[in-house]
Amino acid sequence: MIDLIIFLALLALGYGFGRYAELKHYRSIIQREKELRDIPAVATKFPPLTKAVDVALVSGSVVISVDYFKRFVAGLRNLIGGRVTAYESLLDRARREAILRMKEEARAFGGHIIFNIKLETSSIHKGRKNGVGAVEVMAYGTVLIKPRKIS
Amino acid sequence: MGDTASSKMHEKSLYIKHLSRPRYGLTDFSRLNNHRMKYSNPEIPEGINTSTQHPLKEFALLVGGVLGAVLAVVMVLTLLADRLAVYIPFEVEMRLASRVTEGLPVEEVKSLPIEAYLNRLADKIVAEQKLPPGMQITVHYVDDDLVNAFATLGGHLFMFRGLLEKLPHENAVAMVLAHEIAHIKHRHPIRSMGRGMIFGLAIGMVSSTLGNAMTDRVLANTGGLTVLKFSRDQEWEADQTALHALYQLYGHVDGADRLFKVLEQATENGSLQTPEFFSTHPLSKRRIDNIHAFQVGHPATADATVVALPEQFSTWLIPAAGGQAEGMP
Repeated sequence: MIDLIIFLALLALGYGFGRYAELKHYRSIIQREKELRDIPAVATKFPPLTKAVDVALVSGSVVISVDYFKRFVAGLRNLIGGRVTAYESLLDRARREAILRMKEEARAFGGHIIFNIKLETSSIHKGRKNGVGAVEVMAYGTVLIKPRKIS
Repeated sequence: MGDTASSKMHEKSLYIKHLSRPRYGLTDFSRLNNHRMKYSNPEIPEGINTSTQHPLKEFALLVGGVLGAVLAVVMVLTLLADRLAVYIPFEVEMRLASRVTEGLPVEEVKSLPIEAYLNRLADKIVAEQKLPPGMQITVHYVDDDLVNAFATLGGHLFMFRGLLEKLPHENAVAMVLAHEIAHIKHRHPIRSMGRGMIFGLAIGMVSSTLGNAMTDRVLANTGGLTVLKFSRDQEWEADQTALHALYQLYGHVDGADRLFKVLEQATENGSLQTPEFFSTHPLSKRRIDNIHAFQVGHPATADATVVALPEQFSTWLIPAAGGQAEGMP
């Protein structure tokens, strides 16, 4: 009985904090995406070849942990299959946060546009019985920096 | 990905193509590039890569659906195990029991006078209940204050001093024995074990799929409650069989209700911890009513006098040799 109470408390704790963190994170992501919209990041490998520009490697990486509630829901989902929506939002946040951090780095360099962006994902911690513990997403690309004289 | 020679070649050829021939595909990208190509990251519409459904809704559906389905399967399997366990030969059950009863003092059976007496009485009841050949009953005496008696795998019965002290005559002792022997006759211990095993197996599978230590513990605890206990129906069945045996043995069932009165008192007083074994039994009051109903349907064929216990019975209860049958859990 005491185990059941602990389990339900952990679930509630996981849901409460996880949900709060997620909603807060999404608000921050949407806000910062607006602020950094003037530095576009595109996947194409071919920048315009007209002007002489400086280039630099920029990257952004983020690690987000799965909460207890999400892990439990995903565990149940494992039994019957289908969209693991609990993890979808987690990865969506991680992807967008990684791109934002990359853009922030680009801004620090005085860059104007990022080309050839790539995303890497890995689970950096395997929980008990190979359960997902935390996920890392890294975004990297080449930032084009216009020399000051010309621009 | 792009490290092999062929893909490098591919990249290079694309690049050359891009420089020399502006057209590839349907859109003239290179011309756009060279003129006023707009690069932008427009606002990302929400709810494409993620679900807009509330997480609690999914949780409710999953818990309801998955646990409901698992429970249904487990129930069907337990029912099957319960029905099929009857077909396990009693010899196999006895071999299983030798492992289960390993820690219990089985060796000194019939060496104590009390055990010899109980086994003699049990043999008489076995004859009346017409147990199938090969079904062997062994009664063990446990020198403990617990007001308890139970039947387990392999036809082993355990009678506790705490209960025997409170029984006034042989008929009441015979009622306890007949009840426990009836459990063996109807194969209740092996059926309970079958149920318990299926439940344990199902729990193991579900929790390993969930891969969650806490769920594992919660489920194991809930499962443990159902292991090796007799259902109320089984208790009723055993009571009925026991009463028939007593009726045939003594010609009446007077004094049989004495057992349940003792149990009722022990529970009410609170002086003795009610053993868990009895908590699943039907209420003693209802069982006494059941005995009285049986008496109405089966009028006494002999003098309704109860058989007294042997004179030395109370001395038998305390094993003379120190240390014997002590330290029971």
